[in-house]
Amino acid sequence: MNTVELNKIRKSYDDFVAVDDLSLTIRPGEVYGLLGPNGAGKTSTLRMMIGITVPDSGMVTLFGEPLRRAHAQRLGYLPEERGLYKKMKVLDQLVFLGQLKGMSAHDATQRAQQWCERLSLTEWTGKKVEELSKGMQQKVQFIGALVHDPQFVVMDEPFSGLDPSSAVVLKDAFLELKKAGKTLLFSTHRMDTAERLCDSICLINHGRAVLEGDLGKIKAGYGMRNVQIKYEGDAQFLHDAKLVQSFNDYGNYVEVRLAAGADPQELLRAAASGARLTKFELMEPSLEEIFIEAVGKANA
Amino acid sequence: MRNTWLIIKREYLERVRTRSFIVLTLLLPAIMAGAFIIPAKLSSMKSSKTQRLVVVTSTPQFGEIVRQQLLSSTKPDEKANAGTNSAGTNTNTNKDNDKDKDDLDDDKPANDYAVEVDSNANDAERTALRNRVNAGDIDGYLWLSDDAVAARKVTYYGREAGGFMEKSWISGQLDRAILLRELSQRGVASAQADELLKPVKLEMVHLEAGKETKANDRGMFFTIFAMVMLLYTAVIFYGVSVMRAVLEEKNSRVMEVLLSSATSTELMAGKLIGVGAVGLTQIGIWIAMAGAYALPALAASASTGEIHIPPLTLAAFALFFLLGYLLYSSIYAAIGAVITSEQEGQQLQFVILLPLIISVFMMGPVMRAPDAPVAVWTSMVPFFSPVLMYLRIATQPPPVWQIALSVLLLVATIAGLLILCGRVYRIGILMYGKRPTLPEIAKWLKYAKG
Repeated sequence: MNTVELNKIRKSYDDFVAVDDLSLTIRPGEVYGLLGPNGAGKTSTLRMMIGITVPDSGMVTLFGEPLRRAHAQRLGYLPEERGLYKKMKVLDQLVFLGQLKGMSAHDATQRAQQWCERLSLTEWTGKKVEELSKGMQQKVQFIGALVHDPQFVVMDEPFSGLDPSSAVVLKDAFLELKKAGKTLLFSTHRMDTAERLCDSICLINHGRAVLEGDLGKIKAGYGMRNVQIKYEGDAQFLHDAKLVQSFNDYGNYVEVRLAAGADPQELLRAAASGARLTKFELMEPSLEEIFIEAVGKANA
Repeated sequence: MRNTWLIIKREYLERVRTRSFIVLTLLLPAIMAGAFIIPAKLSSMKSSKTQRLVVVTSTPQFGEIVRQQLLSSTKPDEKANAGTNSAGTNTNTNKDNDKDKDDLDDDKPANDYAVEVDSNANDAERTALRNRVNAGDIDGYLWLSDDAVAARKVTYYGREAGGFMEKSWISGQLDRAILLRELSQRGVASAQADELLKPVKLEMVHLEAGKETKANDRGMFFTIFAMVMLLYTAVIFYGVSVMRAVLEEKNSRVMEVLLSSATSTELMAGKLIGVGAVGLTQIGIWIAMAGAYALPALAASASTGEIHIPPLTLAAFALFFLLGYLLYSSIYAAIGAVITSEQEGQQLQFVILLPLIISVFMMGPVMRAPDAPVAVWTSMVPFFSPVLMYLRIATQPPPVWQIALSVLLLVATIAGLLILCGRVYRIGILMYGKRPTLPEIAKWLKYAKG
């Protein structure tokens, strides 16, 4: 039973199509990244997934059932633009959010206090939110999304605007949730973050899924097309159009993109014949490259 | 339901706990008390000032009659006293006997008078009197030469031309003085003349459910007026609170977090009911405070029944406040969802204020003739009925069917508005950036049906 299945969901605002027949599958217990540039339709997709908005067409399935109101209690949501009641006290606010998710006041208080202790907010629980620093407010917001111990946590750009130490706290919490068997979905426009954390991804552009699935498999599908070479001497091999599609000289080393159908072994022989090599490494393509290529293909 | 209840509870507790709520709850009665008590105190302080007047007549006899009228109340026995003890002197004050006659002549100004009679109605005397006024020796003089009296056109010259109340009182006393003189010239004895001129006092008795209550017109008017203004102000005040709260949730983006747990309908219902409950609490405290302040007076007047607010009026107040509030605040909620800043809200607010302002303008005609067709039909119109139907109930209870019809129409309108505004609200709260145009909002109404 998959945690989420989106089947050709579509959302348009007037003439603008924000999400265009998007399908994706999120398996239980995985960390899933929804990637794409700003304005690609990430937030619109998330909102439909958790029932804040309704798709114009298509089907949202959560926990194996068509999305319904009661699912709200099993999911936690951290919106991109963080929102808290500024004048409300931290603990009151967390208890209120927990109660809205169906918890009793007692349980919500207990869980909120535990979380505050873990994120060292205990002495702030009686303060108004507006008295807290930005970083602390982020933590409160984070607890707000998790206080009811949801099975599925949805976070919209969770790392944007975080200072480095908060980002580490968040990343650790992420991994802990993963270990606890929760399913995590987050959106980001930063490919490097996704590359480090995600099991599966969906790349979207202009509301359409460009790539979707297991990150490892996606990368494997793109093959080992990049080679990092450190050399001294003749650089003639870089200009062999049969082997090299393009290269990037970084000074210390060059990164070579193999021509279509070229065998890396042949490049190694060609390079070794003229230059003295200190490093020759086949590399997985970066997500960024994959994205650029996939988008290029889709637009072509 | 649970979510709505949680949202109501949060809204209520967070608002009631704020310092501004407590301050406003305590401060407003203080300001109101100040607005009523301080002017009353000030005007009673003024009574210690004595106005020094000179009455100029062609004959000393007439001058004496005028003087007595100005000094005296309308009670004949007191006037007789004033007459005897002022026989030898030209000036006198009436301080002693104006304590217990307030109930009789309501229009008597707060001033005391010291009156001097002058029977030299000539130009030299006029100049002399002018000089005395300028020197501050006297406050003014009444020119009552025979010619002027015959023409019934007399003049008061003074440093302060006097207020409206003073003018009408003096002219009334002059009328009496002239009548008294005429009567005595026709051989009527002064005691008989007083008897003849005794004024009629009209007493209004309010008949309700077979009980007789003496109506205190002015008290009644002020009570009704104050209650209607409270209703009107409260509807606007709490409506604006709803708008602000929605705008704040939208701008601070709490809205999205809430929407992941509750529906927009629950959010809007919770907001409206929560803020409305705060309003009822606050007004309840005010009415209780006013009641506690007025309690001694109420107890004292319970026997005479001068101040009388029937329970029906209070119940109607609560009902029409709630309905009026729901009607207007559902629009305010929609506006809050559509706008991006309070400035924009202020521009749109006019749409809401217009019907309320019209109903306040209608107060006069409706109070004068609560049963006239204009009053009956305007009090049926949902946007006016919270103010106007309440006003009619407070002044003169209309037939039950009219109240029922007006409430029914109001409730139906509220239901319709809640649906429409709920749609605007649902879409508006997730829209950031530019404010939608009216055609855009119309489109929302269509596709937000689901």
